[in-house]
Amino acid sequence: MNLQVIYCNHQTASLDIRERLAFTDEEQLADAYTQLRDRFPNSEAVVLSTCNRVELYTAQENAAAAPTHDELAGFLSNFHGVPVEEFLGDLLQHSGAEAVGHLFRVCSSIDSMVLGEPQIVSQVKEAYRQAEANEACGPLTNALFQCAIRVSKRVRSETRLAEGRVSIASVAVGEFARGIFDRFDDKTVLVIGAGEMAEETLQYLQDDGVRDVLVVNRNPERARELAAKWGGNGFGMERLEELLPGADVVVAATGADQPIVDVEMFARVRDGQRDRPVFVLDLGAPRDVAPEVSGLDDNVFLYDVDDLQETCERNRKSRSQEIVRALSIIENESDRFMQDVYHRATGPIVKRLREQWSDVSQKEMDRLRSKLSHLDDADIDQVEQTVNRIVNKLLHPPLEALRDEARDGTPHGLLDALSRLFHIRD
Amino acid sequence: MVDVTIFCFFASYTVAFALDVLRLKRPKRSTWMVSVGIAVAGFVAHTLFLLNAADKGREELLPPLLSSSQDWTLVLAWLVVGFHLFLTCCDRALSLGVFLFPLVLGLIGSSYFLADEPSQLLNAAESARRGWTMLHVSSLAVGSAGVLAGIVLSLMYLLQHRRLRQKGSSATGLKLPSLERLSRMNWWSVMVSVPLLTVGMGTGLVLLLSGSTEGRELSLGDPVVIINGISWLGLIGLFGWMLLTPRATGKQVAWRTLLACGFLLVTVVGLNVLASHSPGFSGHASVSSLGANGDPVETGGPS
Repeated sequence: MNLQVIYCNHQTASLDIRERLAFTDEEQLADAYTQLRDRFPNSEAVVLSTCNRVELYTAQENAAAAPTHDELAGFLSNFHGVPVEEFLGDLLQHSGAEAVGHLFRVCSSIDSMVLGEPQIVSQVKEAYRQAEANEACGPLTNALFQCAIRVSKRVRSETRLAEGRVSIASVAVGEFARGIFDRFDDKTVLVIGAGEMAEETLQYLQDDGVRDVLVVNRNPERARELAAKWGGNGFGMERLEELLPGADVVVAATGADQPIVDVEMFARVRDGQRDRPVFVLDLGAPRDVAPEVSGLDDNVFLYDVDDLQETCERNRKSRSQEIVRALSIIENESDRFMQDVYHRATGPIVKRLREQWSDVSQKEMDRLRSKLSHLDDADIDQVEQTVNRIVNKLLHPPLEALRDEARDGTPHGLLDALSRLFHIRD
Repeated sequence: MVDVTIFCFFASYTVAFALDVLRLKRPKRSTWMVSVGIAVAGFVAHTLFLLNAADKGREELLPPLLSSSQDWTLVLAWLVVGFHLFLTCCDRALSLGVFLFPLVLGLIGSSYFLADEPSQLLNAAESARRGWTMLHVSSLAVGSAGVLAGIVLSLMYLLQHRRLRQKGSSATGLKLPSLERLSRMNWWSVMVSVPLLTVGMGTGLVLLLSGSTEGRELSLGDPVVIINGISWLGLIGLFGWMLLTPRATGKQVAWRTLLACGFLLVTVVGLNVLASHSPGFSGHASVSSLGANGDPVETGGPS
């Protein structure tokens, strides 16, 4: 039995190469699986393609049928029309236990750009589903991917690898905005400027149910464009002070070189509504909101990039400290998986050996019955049980030795010896 | 019926509390499950203990569960644990146990010092007055649970508010609901508990004035009556202020609730402990702050 993976990811290959080797849609994947089946008919295959990685897992019952690194690279080259020399150096390969450990690390998001991110599990599940739909996978890849998903669950539940958010926008919304507000579908979000960070934050807020989005920008046209994207309304910057009092969440992300919202303006805005919490997220550098705004009253919750960055870093650090524990789980699970695989390889020989010995004992029992016809059924049963016990006791040492040998790899030598000693044929 | 002692569930809740504190450092699912399992075991033992007490009360024609100060305090603790288990099962991430278990343990611990004999007032309750007595004790029990909820919610609000103002991460440690939710729950706890306590106190006064105390006179100058009256007035003040000041900030509401409810809790429990153990102390001291117990020596029943 053999397992291998060739892959390139965000650590080994540039985005340009990853984009050119990526499998972007179901149709392309189906085509890829058809070609894989044609080229490597004795191999199971699963393709995992995300924005950060392109990985091709293959598995065979017979190690001799395993495709080589060059053959798999050749497949990628031909399929995507990219010359091999352009990416061969970026393409890594693992086989056996290393390949298993690699998939477990990927699925547990240790190999991800953002450590602990949860999307990779669904991407791995989807990759396997696609392989299954295209009839490219088999018992080995099935066991491998099921186990990978189980390991990722174990890593997430037994470590704190996935705890704490690590991007500015997700920290802002997940750890602070949700600490203030219970729901967002009745809240108004005012976006000042139209930066990328503001958009990312809006994405998180919309995932949480925000419906009412207002955008103000120096260029009203740009404001309207962005607002339309989120189903909101866009205005020119001159409307800022008029719109601020109605906002529950303010996201400022302009490129201005001095604060757009100063204390005087915000004090006027807060006048008469100090009972109402307002979440102000200043993503500008330099700041768009004067830091003194935070001291106006107890219900102003102002966060700037530095505040959020600090939390992100703390969460990243906390996640990194969990890597050792996660790797230990993965190593343990990889060993177990490989033992199962090796043990499974001994299955057919063990089965045939048992059948052969059972046949011999049965034939001898039949002869005995015909010769000793004076024995009653109870005596025959006793003799039969004795014979079975002898067979089991004689079988025990070779099977035990086989099991021990299978701990470190498929025991080809021993399997061969057993086949020859006991005349076990395929 | 199974023989259960107070120590059984007190010990269970103590272990569950310790595990909840441990979860602040190491929030594992297994710790949560063990903590909830032990809390459930304690809750079952607690329930069995109260059922035993109810059987005993029924034999003596007393209102079930609420005839003595001890029963009453244990019922209150039982309500709080039930509330905790319900919310914890709804949201595993919430760190409710660290707030609620100290209260529960405090209540159960104080029950050791409270009289477990029925109050004179309840002993004297004839069948015609039984409905009033039940209304009195049950509204006080539920109202007091609301007061406890008010204390816990206010504390949670203040901690969450402090965390957010100080820009602290919630990734590890204490997981609390949003300020908006805490504020809303706090408001409702006061809105529900104050009218119930008022009903409880009103019915207690009616019972007291209707002459059940056999020779004892109600003195409005009794220190217990005065202290309880002040606590209740504090809550009424809070109630009125919350209704008349819709634009109060959540932090103001939390502080005032904490002060008013905390004062009520301390005085009620304190007075009951004193009433149970000081022969010279007025027997009007009672859980419900009514001062209508009627027995100056030993009892500290609900009214």
